[in-house]
Amino acid sequence: MVGTGAGPFSYAPAIALFPLAAFVISLVFGRQLPKKGAIPGIFATAASLLFSLWMFATVAGGETYHETLYEWSAGAVTTEVGAEEIAFSFGLLIDPLSALMLVIVSLVAFLVHVFSLGYMNDEGETGLPRYYASLGLFTFSMLAFVYADNLLMAFMFFELVGLCSYLLIGFWFRTKSAPSAAKKAFLVTRFGDYFFLIGVVAIASTFGTVAFAGEESFVVAAETAIEDGTTLFGFDAQTWVTITGLLVLGGVIGKSAQFPLHTWLPDAMEGPTTVSALIHAATMVAAGVYLVARMFGYYALSPTALSIIAFVGGFTALFAATMGVVKDDIKQVLAYSTISQYGYMMLGMGVGGYVAGVFHLMNHAFFKALLFLGSGAVIVLMHHEQDMWKMGGLKDKAPITYYTFLAGALALAGIVPFSGFWSKDEVLFDALIVGLEEPVILAAYAMGLLAVFFTGFYTFRMVFLTFHGEPRTETAEDPHGVGWSIKAPLVVLGLLAALVGFVNLAPIAKVAGMDITFLEYWLDGEYGYVEGLTYHHYHEMVAFEEGYIGSETTTMLLSAGLSLGLALAGAFAAHTLYNVPEPKRHTTKLGGAYTVLRNNYYQDEYQVWLAEGLTLPLARTADLFDRSVIDGAVDGVSGASLFGSSWVKRIQTGLVTNYAALIVAGFIALLLGLGLYGGWF
Amino acid sequence: MMIEALIAVALIGALVTFVAPNRVAGKLAFAISLVPAALSLWMFTAFDGSGNALLDGDLAFESHLEWIQLGEYSIEWFVGLDGISLPLVVMTTILCSLAILSSWTPIDSRESQFYGLVLFIEANLIGVFSALDFFVWFIFWEAVLIPMYLLIGVWGGPDRKYAAIKFFVYTNVASLVMFGAFIALVFGLGDAVTSFAMPEIADAMVNGGVQSSVFGIDPGTFTALVFIAMFLGFAVKVPVVPFHTWLPDAHVQAPTPASVLLAGVLLKMGTYALLRFNFTMFPEQVETFAVPIAAIAVISVIYGAMLALAQTDLKRIVAYSSVSSMGYVILGLIAYTQFGVGGATFQMVSHGLISGLMFMSVGVIYNVTHTRSVEEMSGLADRMPIAVGILVAGAFGYMGLPLMSGFHGEFTIFFGAFQADFAYAPLFTALAMFGIVIVAGYLLFALQRTVFGPYHLETDYDVGRAPLHDVAPMFVLLALIIALGVAPELIFDMITNAVDPILNGGDL
Repeated sequence: MVGTGAGPFSYAPAIALFPLAAFVISLVFGRQLPKKGAIPGIFATAASLLFSLWMFATVAGGETYHETLYEWSAGAVTTEVGAEEIAFSFGLLIDPLSALMLVIVSLVAFLVHVFSLGYMNDEGETGLPRYYASLGLFTFSMLAFVYADNLLMAFMFFELVGLCSYLLIGFWFRTKSAPSAAKKAFLVTRFGDYFFLIGVVAIASTFGTVAFAGEESFVVAAETAIEDGTTLFGFDAQTWVTITGLLVLGGVIGKSAQFPLHTWLPDAMEGPTTVSALIHAATMVAAGVYLVARMFGYYALSPTALSIIAFVGGFTALFAATMGVVKDDIKQVLAYSTISQYGYMMLGMGVGGYVAGVFHLMNHAFFKALLFLGSGAVIVLMHHEQDMWKMGGLKDKAPITYYTFLAGALALAGIVPFSGFWSKDEVLFDALIVGLEEPVILAAYAMGLLAVFFTGFYTFRMVFLTFHGEPRTETAEDPHGVGWSIKAPLVVLGLLAALVGFVNLAPIAKVAGMDITFLEYWLDGEYGYVEGLTYHHYHEMVAFEEGYIGSETTTMLLSAGLSLGLALAGAFAAHTLYNVPEPKRHTTKLGGAYTVLRNNYYQDEYQVWLAEGLTLPLARTADLFDRSVIDGAVDGVSGASLFGSSWVKRIQTGLVTNYAALIVAGFIALLLGLGLYGGWF
Repeated sequence: MMIEALIAVALIGALVTFVAPNRVAGKLAFAISLVPAALSLWMFTAFDGSGNALLDGDLAFESHLEWIQLGEYSIEWFVGLDGISLPLVVMTTILCSLAILSSWTPIDSRESQFYGLVLFIEANLIGVFSALDFFVWFIFWEAVLIPMYLLIGVWGGPDRKYAAIKFFVYTNVASLVMFGAFIALVFGLGDAVTSFAMPEIADAMVNGGVQSSVFGIDPGTFTALVFIAMFLGFAVKVPVVPFHTWLPDAHVQAPTPASVLLAGVLLKMGTYALLRFNFTMFPEQVETFAVPIAAIAVISVIYGAMLALAQTDLKRIVAYSSVSSMGYVILGLIAYTQFGVGGATFQMVSHGLISGLMFMSVGVIYNVTHTRSVEEMSGLADRMPIAVGILVAGAFGYMGLPLMSGFHGEFTIFFGAFQADFAYAPLFTALAMFGIVIVAGYLLFALQRTVFGPYHLETDYDVGRAPLHDVAPMFVLLALIIALGVAPELIFDMITNAVDPILNGGDL
């Protein structure tokens, strides 16, 4: 049911264009405007939100939209499957997945813009037009990425959000650390995008199309190639799909901060907290996982690629969660938690749990944006102090911040009935049932499960250290107040974090036999849908076997009980250690592990070494080689000719007798030569 | 007669500027240079050619004039434009105008001679891209060297004489090799050609080629030798590793506007000539030598980028990065697919604009700080926000940010090369693509150290905002870069139309 250009969808481009207009206005006129560009941003994102909701409602009404709007570049090709023409274009694809994501992105962007009014404008900040312009450009790029209808367009906006991230991380450019963090973020994600771009080029060269949906899509072409047993670039079709899928995954791992390209995200906390909330928690980092969901049909063709996604996800979930345990800076805890949570989404996607992955993506966007904005409010309260050991006791002084933050924390830790519980549980359940048949997935599941305990622990360690106990500094005794523009977004997100999980109560639906898994229906084409992009289509394609312990319901309850129990255990451990009037650091108990965790498993060290210890000396050696050998040869040639001429010029003595002698000698030599050649002798 | 008009305006303008007083020379030259810029833009909109200029295409603005009869060979004034040369001509005229504008601040001696020479270069550059008779083309080709030699040698930095002579001798010796090889080829073709008109020679080469042995060398080997000699001749101009060492010296010593023209247009003479001669006239040899040339392209990209990474002089960084970017162009050409060759041509224009912008930005910084060393400054964004903003935008353009022209150039080259026919084409492509990571490394590193961080300047100068005439040309370039990035079809259509016959043995 793909709609035509008419109707509400003809207004769809405006969703992205509003923030683009805000970008231009803030950049050009920001200095003259009241609030330095905040107002156009707020109006633009509000309009985007309204239009996104309109699109959402239209999809709910059973219609979808897939339309090419603009041809960017076209030409002749020779592809592996015989296509001879290719057109790279900009087009929109509005189906249940992208409609949902549009609402998430524009809602969070709107709330962050409002929050910025209280967070950024109050501080006598210079460069606000630049801030709001970058934010507008980001929102534009992100929204365009979300409803891109082809892989190349997605790549283009994927890179552009990277630019905005660079600009915003480096917002406080007068410091030394922010520009460095910005550079690192762009470079590490660029490294991932390198593989992504090879993937795009390879897919386009193979199938002659980069479209996500429809009969002309590369997903369908790949399916056909596998069925026909075609050889692609010297590989059998399935292997080639795995290779190209993994190349694209390079970009996903970079953007969604998965191991081993996660190192940029904690550094990215140098940016304003609002930026962390919007870009480095709720939206841009989600772009990676979203891309996997967008082209899930392609990954579904390759069990190998899926297993790798699941394993990377499970590993990252645990790996990052352990690091979150020892951080003292509130934003650092949240950064590692973000990496860990995206690991869960990858795990969900990798085991074929498309709905679970998207569900967690949505919930996480809300509760993590909430937690970051909450930490932003705490930072305002604390006069720009981020060390949790200098806080304490803020609970009574800032109740709205506290209760909303608590809602986010409960969601993050996965405590029933907050949103995170439902989605994380679904991810783990999907991983478990596949894991019972596939040992690799079982390992990924085990890591994900173990991470639940650490998540519960670091989350409540953060809550208790920040809000409970006695104030540990004078600032905490007498915090700065916060205005409505900070409180209102917190309340909205707090409600969402608490309630949004109810859209897909899978365990309850199973036990009680009720039809209440609305998100699953949404993604499965109960409303509008695009052929080939529905959950049950994906489910049929994924070739994983599923196993159960006892019945399906028993397995489900077991899984839910296990993860809830671990989350509560983690939270309880944090309660015992830190929910006391004067909490102590318990770092010595960790022994040598503390040093390793504190140093983030030395991941930064080796990556910095790769850049500065290996590549840079290599470049300097190349430079030396270039100057001495290559340029030396060039100068050598000219030196030789100069030397030669300085020697030859000595025969120019200026004496006529010498010249006469030379002429005669030369003439004789010529005669002799000719004579020899002519055979006179 | 449009092309003649362009050349004549620039030539007469050069003469007028030479005799004009120093204090008005800059403004006068800028005003004059607007005429060819406007004319070429009009030609762009009125363009009605199709096909390839050398392969029976319909030329736009074509004109012939009998000139010299040299034995059996006639030489004539023969100019015309196709979809490959027109964008390059437009880029040249625009870049020359902007380069003149950007000279107002830094050039403060012998102005009338300086601007006269810039206009003289412009005339010759237009000639190089529009001439279709080999002799006429070669005269323009050589005539470009002299003004550039003087621009570097007279207005350059401390080591200007060494750099100017190296530039002149190196590229001139290379031209000699190429010239000798080409004349030998014409004689080798025997009765098949009766003039030095490039379309006639191309036609003879594509339909038959060298038939009998020349100087006792069999036709196949002879043609291959000519191909190699011409490739080497042009490789110095491009420049391709290992013939690149004249470039950083020339750039570092050259005054900013000369660098803009050198990187923006002069390097494209090399790739343009490669496309017109080697890649149009020798389709069989292109196939034979595909793998070694692809290897050279990959080495140029990666090695050039690594060298850029090691530099601390901003101009050297941009200079070496040009070596890297030109490697992409070679890769696109050797791909010999529509996207590859078309992308390479697009990249010539795109790189002309972007490297021009980068050199201008570095020049604007140098104007106020009097240093180009990365180690001697930081935090300039604090003092000159607009200029730095454009520099950052230009740097991202150089990194191939989507919706800027560089991305289209690089993407189409990669895409075209990935599906090329020669062995391991995808692997070569993937290796060359790693350039996009290294370029981000050295440019972001340079930005981090020079324009961000706390404000600091070793040299004792007062840094303030750049004047409008410094910033305006950068805005124009940035606008063009974004326009071509968003709507590459503006020129890509006409480029692929002119590229097609090359790949299809002369057919459209």
